[in-house]
Amino acid sequence: MANIAAQRIKREFKEVIKSEEVAKCAIKVELLNDSYTELKGEIAGPPDTPYEGGNFVLEIRVPETYPFNPPKVRFITKIWHPNISSVTGAICLDILKDQWAAAMTLRTVLLSLQALLSAAEPDDPQDAVVARQYKENLEMFKLTAKHWTNAYAGGPFVNTDCDEKIKRLIDMGIEEHQARVALSSYNWDLERATEQLFS
Amino acid sequence: MEDTMTTSQGGESDMDYSDNEYYDYYNTNDDIDIEQLDPRKIDPEYFEFSCLLEEQVDRLLNETVETLSNNLQIPPSLAKVLLHSNQWNISELTKKFNENSTRTLIAARIEPATPPGSLLLTRYVNCSVCVTVQPLDRFYSLSCAHMFCRDCWSMHFEVQINQGISTGIACMARNCIVLAPEDFVLKHLQRPNMREKYQQFSFQDYVKSHPQLRFCPGPNCSIVVHSKEVKAKRSTCNQCKTVFCFKCGCDYHAPTECQVIKKWLTKCADDSETANYISAHTKDCPKCHICIEKNGGCNHMQCYNCKHDFCWMCLGDWKSHGSEYYECSRYRENPNIAHESVHAQAREALKKYLHYYERWENHSKSLKLEEQTLEKLRSRINQKVMSGLGTWIDWQYLFTAANLLAKCRYTLQYTYPYAYYMDTGSRKELFEYQQAQLEAEIENLSWKIERAETTDRGDLENQMDIAEKRRTTLLKDFLDV
Repeated sequence: MANIAAQRIKREFKEVIKSEEVAKCAIKVELLNDSYTELKGEIAGPPDTPYEGGNFVLEIRVPETYPFNPPKVRFITKIWHPNISSVTGAICLDILKDQWAAAMTLRTVLLSLQALLSAAEPDDPQDAVVARQYKENLEMFKLTAKHWTNAYAGGPFVNTDCDEKIKRLIDMGIEEHQARVALSSYNWDLERATEQLFS
Repeated sequence: MEDTMTTSQGGESDMDYSDNEYYDYYNTNDDIDIEQLDPRKIDPEYFEFSCLLEEQVDRLLNETVETLSNNLQIPPSLAKVLLHSNQWNISELTKKFNENSTRTLIAARIEPATPPGSLLLTRYVNCSVCVTVQPLDRFYSLSCAHMFCRDCWSMHFEVQINQGISTGIACMARNCIVLAPEDFVLKHLQRPNMREKYQQFSFQDYVKSHPQLRFCPGPNCSIVVHSKEVKAKRSTCNQCKTVFCFKCGCDYHAPTECQVIKKWLTKCADDSETANYISAHTKDCPKCHICIEKNGGCNHMQCYNCKHDFCWMCLGDWKSHGSEYYECSRYRENPNIAHESVHAQAREALKKYLHYYERWENHSKSLKLEEQTLEKLRSRINQKVMSGLGTWIDWQYLFTAANLLAKCRYTLQYTYPYAYYMDTGSRKELFEYQQAQLEAEIENLSWKIERAETTDRGDLENQMDIAEKRRTTLLKDFLDV
């Protein structure tokens, strides 16, 4: 079984490298070991989304039963998205679960993930806090997602208001990421975030 | 008891009688009328069903598959997929198929929504799953024409079956939902244990999708109950003797409906902490305040200390219960509740729930004590027989009575969730009146069984008859299935 998995990954690896998306720097795959079971993926944040300009790193684990079972994929880069856990990077996407088909490839997975960044599904959330913000206050969600892209994925949009609020919390002795999570969860309301952190 | 398919008209009328007088004498019309009384009308719990073994179910399913396959002129394996996705309803399916066969086949995921493209017929093909080039004759596809090599198909099926999937295995192509029919799967499974697993899983899927079939819920029981009527009626497994509701497969629950009993049981599970705390297992005698533990089924208590007779439910004097009105089963709502505060309303809601819950729990506990009661009965009868009061046979009627008591108490237990979810009004009043009547007769019966001193059974038989009549009357009026 493992034989098919390695054979397929080898082939798919070549496919991705030759694909036009790589030429456009939209997706990228790297091997992490010789047995083709662990890979590093990268996708570029799609244009006209809060993720634009960011580069998101993925962990890809290939099960022994691949391609009859889907690869296990999660975000290493922290991201603010309704269908991706802001804590663990776990992804809620049907093709990584029951809608997987053996004829799909790493390339289709990466492109589907890119499509997920363009079109979130807030009614099928992985991260309830993010999904609620998305549904109740879309502008606030976009601002937060953009800020996270800047902070973790190298995105170009700097939001000084956010940075200042985070700095205020850091000055109070809070760790940076923890401060960002608290502020993001409370729509950047410094008072409520502080309250939650110190309660 | 209801082990069915025993429709009982004899073949006597077919016999050849040469003597006309004899014929008239024994075969009057009256006689036939009595025999032909419709049991459905007399017994509200009457239910025709049969207990089938796995082979019998297989035969039944295969007959259905064959009929449809002949009707529609399609292969049996496709007929099976169609039936599985259409609740095994042949007539409905035939109608749908004749109206629009393509749409029916697409809806059942037998054919792809868009017709497949033309096949490329080269001698060697690259399998997109294992990425190896192989001769064309090693390739297979479903109706969607997505070609994959033999080895990949069998690997795909093995992986899916190991995850418990059988009738729902789809094609391996992206976005293709066409299902693999049984013969296609079996063709690609070589290992005997995988074939066995597949057949076992798909059998379960078929039975579960068939409204007229129900797995016996008894532990390790493989019996399947079959009935033409899909109703919430009592069925009894002839192997493990488990009694359950045919429709939902849970404990039998007449007169309450399937959804209502589910709601009630969830509620009980959620609120049980409070309820357990409040409905402790012991109560104090209302007269001498000695602590009493209830160890039998009867609600008519007699304090062993002061001999005071009282009702376990309401702790009132039993004298007020003997006559016409037994009101312990009825919940009296506070008429001014609408004007009370939210807090008071919440308290009232809890009080109402606890009222019904306590009675539900109480009867359930009484039933659990049944074995103990029977044991006591046995030793008491032994004593009587030893001291020369009747023979063992003379006392057997008490066991019959105890069985009937359990049956009545069981129904009574399930009247409480029914009453809890009823809207206030005249129908509820009628229900609670009948419930109270049943409860009173059950308590009388219980009391009489526990204290039967003679082999004179007239009085007890009478009481049994009354209790059972009350039970069937209540079910006739309120069992709505």
